[in-house]
Amino acid sequence: MSENLNQEKFNNSVPTKEDKKQKRVKVKRGKLEAREARMGYFFVLPWIIGTLIFVLIPLGQSFYYMWYNIRITPLGTKFNFVGTGNFTQIWLENPEFPQQLVTYIWQTIVEVPIIVVFALMIAMMLNGKIKMKGFFRLIFFLPVIIVSGPVMNMLVSEGASTIPAMNTQAVINALDSFLPTKMATSIGELFGNMIMVLWYSGVQILIFLSALQKVDPSLYEAAKIDGGSGWECFWKITLPTIKNFILLNAVYTVIFLSSNEQNELINMIKSAMFSGTKEKGYGYASAMAWMYSIVVTLIVLLFFLILGNKHDVYDRMVAKRKRMLKREERLSKKIERRSIRNERKLQRARRSHRYKTYDGRGDY
Amino acid sequence: MKKNKIVATLLSVAMAATLLVGCSGGNGGSAGGSTGGVDENGVTTDNITLTYWHYEDETTMNLLAEAFMKKYPNITVETKQITDMSTDLSAAAAAGNFPDAFCATDSDTALANMYWADITEYVENDPDMDQMLYSIKNYGIGKFDTDHWYAMPVWYQPSAIFIDRNVINKLNLEMPRTDWTWDEMIQLIKDATVDDRTGMKYYGLGYYNRLDSLYGIAACATAERAIKGEFGFDGTDFDLRYWAIGEEEFGNLKVNGYVAPQQDTQAMEDWSGDWGTWFGATGHVAIFSEGFWSYMNLWGTDGYQEQYGLDIVPYVTPNVVDEKEHNIIANMYMGGISSSTEHPYEAYLLLKWMGIGTEGWNARLDIYEDESITNASGTALKHANMPVPMTTDEGVWERYKAMFPQDEEHKMYWDDYFASITRPVPYGWYNIAGYWNFCDQYFNKIGIHDLVDAGTAHPADYAAEASEQANYYHAEAMISYFGPSGYDVLSDEELATYQATVDSFGK
Repeated sequence: MSENLNQEKFNNSVPTKEDKKQKRVKVKRGKLEAREARMGYFFVLPWIIGTLIFVLIPLGQSFYYMWYNIRITPLGTKFNFVGTGNFTQIWLENPEFPQQLVTYIWQTIVEVPIIVVFALMIAMMLNGKIKMKGFFRLIFFLPVIIVSGPVMNMLVSEGASTIPAMNTQAVINALDSFLPTKMATSIGELFGNMIMVLWYSGVQILIFLSALQKVDPSLYEAAKIDGGSGWECFWKITLPTIKNFILLNAVYTVIFLSSNEQNELINMIKSAMFSGTKEKGYGYASAMAWMYSIVVTLIVLLFFLILGNKHDVYDRMVAKRKRMLKREERLSKKIERRSIRNERKLQRARRSHRYKTYDGRGDY
Repeated sequence: MKKNKIVATLLSVAMAATLLVGCSGGNGGSAGGSTGGVDENGVTTDNITLTYWHYEDETTMNLLAEAFMKKYPNITVETKQITDMSTDLSAAAAAGNFPDAFCATDSDTALANMYWADITEYVENDPDMDQMLYSIKNYGIGKFDTDHWYAMPVWYQPSAIFIDRNVINKLNLEMPRTDWTWDEMIQLIKDATVDDRTGMKYYGLGYYNRLDSLYGIAACATAERAIKGEFGFDGTDFDLRYWAIGEEEFGNLKVNGYVAPQQDTQAMEDWSGDWGTWFGATGHVAIFSEGFWSYMNLWGTDGYQEQYGLDIVPYVTPNVVDEKEHNIIANMYMGGISSSTEHPYEAYLLLKWMGIGTEGWNARLDIYEDESITNASGTALKHANMPVPMTTDEGVWERYKAMFPQDEEHKMYWDDYFASITRPVPYGWYNIAGYWNFCDQYFNKIGIHDLVDAGTAHPADYAAEASEQANYYHAEAMISYFGPSGYDVLSDEELATYQATVDSFGK
């Protein structure tokens, strides 16, 4: 009896080929599902076409261009292969590019956390029970419309992005005493540009608002029943729930800061692209743009590493428990297999009458 | 539900279609059915359309184009004001709708990209071109030191020194002779700077053009060095020692308080009480190195001088030696016909009409003389950056001069001034290959003006290095633009000379 049971167990634990086949059988999609999928593709078709035409093709073109000196004459485009010539030209003869690149890196690393934290604070306030909530949401989103147009350039040129009463130089001097000069300058300039930085938070506020509204209120209720304070709720419930949105907003902010009209590097690339001088032009600008995009990607990766999906203490405990269960399962399987092997050995011994027990009867 | 789907489908199709339509581009300019016929003057008899891109007042250019179309009824002219030369032209070249004729503020861009066609055949066989101003013809402004014409000046305004007679009278000074010298001008600037501590200080000089850029051309007698361009350029190489003298002199004037504060500065507020004041409207500045346009656009408008108590008269930019006829620096847009135009001769005729030609100038004067015609800002067209004729045609000059003050007191000054501006030499970026690269990649990065103005550097210390750099950039540009990879018009000897300059650079 025990032999049969063990055999059954053994058979059940090892999946057969038939089982595998059965698992792989595809369930035929229903008509409704297929139609919905088609409509889905149809709706994203403009985006796919747009990405192909305005992103992937230009991306490929610019990759090709960066190895050439390109002259666009009225009689056609002249390509002159220069290999890495554009890169050496940029690094050796254009001191502004590396300088601006370093400034951009510092500014982005400093500004992104400030914008994201500010957006989260405002979103939490707007998510609370306040009067004229809609009006305040409008107020904070309004700059998004303004900063996306030439109006922003006019405002900046009029000094509207700075706080006149703030002595930026004093801030820089104070920071310079304990920070590297480059970092102190970047942070100091950030103070000088504070209004604009705050204006850049409109979209992030909206994203955080939608994230906050998705948090299950019963979690807060349960926490409060257990005596959790608002501060604890923020750290134990709100923040872990919206952590993916923090990453999303950080990436969005990096991309926004890297591609808006106030960005000196973007203007430099644009100016190089349309420059008529023989060294510059599309090839030179493409080389600049590729180097810049690599730096932007690295910054995005940096924020991904910092804010990426790290498990919190509860997740870690769950994972540990899962690992432990798996280990136990493996161990029990191992014991099972060993028992089966031993059983077989015993059977063989019995059949060949070599099996002896301590009393010589050959059985327990 | 069904209705929603139809709407959604239509919207998606419309969005996709919009994307695709956005990508399609049309070729600008069109020609009617071509029969290939020409009239007795060699002008096509086909119905054609020409495009002309410019920097001038739009109303003026449209009226001028209409006059051209009246003369050539089978030719339609479309004009466009250029916003940014590099962007507009490179975008047009990429899109295949390049203008048939256009003017450029920066010749390096046009030459590097071979925007201009060779017009030597037309220029050299054109009797009208004999009437060009002396320097244009003799220095070959538009030939870029080759044997070929690629461009011709289409818009010209000479440098000018203006004097406020009221200030000179108030300070009990003598008006200088109209054919004055450089030293006389400097002395007058010093004499007219008076601060008696009882009121607003009188300054000798208010400047738009720095004196060093004027001095670089007026620096020496022709026998010493025939300067044909900025920074002592004589057609072959640069010598910035001349510029350095002017730069030093101007720096000294600034440091020693002879130069009026600029608009929108604290110094201006301290002096005049208003941050936004322009020194030309204070009545407390004697000499102005202003743009020529300042007269017609501002001082020459109705009631302006009376309002600010001014009496402005023009003087020629003086020479260092007492030569009656000498070169003066000038703003001069260069125009050319596109290397891709299908109607080169007609485009050339249009270019000439819009710029240098006598017929075109007569048509222009018809427009300027009618002060009832105004532009979009409501300004009579002669007050909207009116250029100066580049032809020596007497009829044109008589009509042109008549638009300036004709009373006995002032006419003499204007007549003398116009008589002395026959030898304009454009700023470097208009007519010297590689000049823009030199400024962009070397000269502007030194920040020499600020250093000298602050009294912390002497330009003479930079002159030798800057000359070497300028020669290098020029030689490199000549090889690139006119060598085998460009227009390919340089002889082996010329190429070898330029190559030697490039090779010797930095050794």
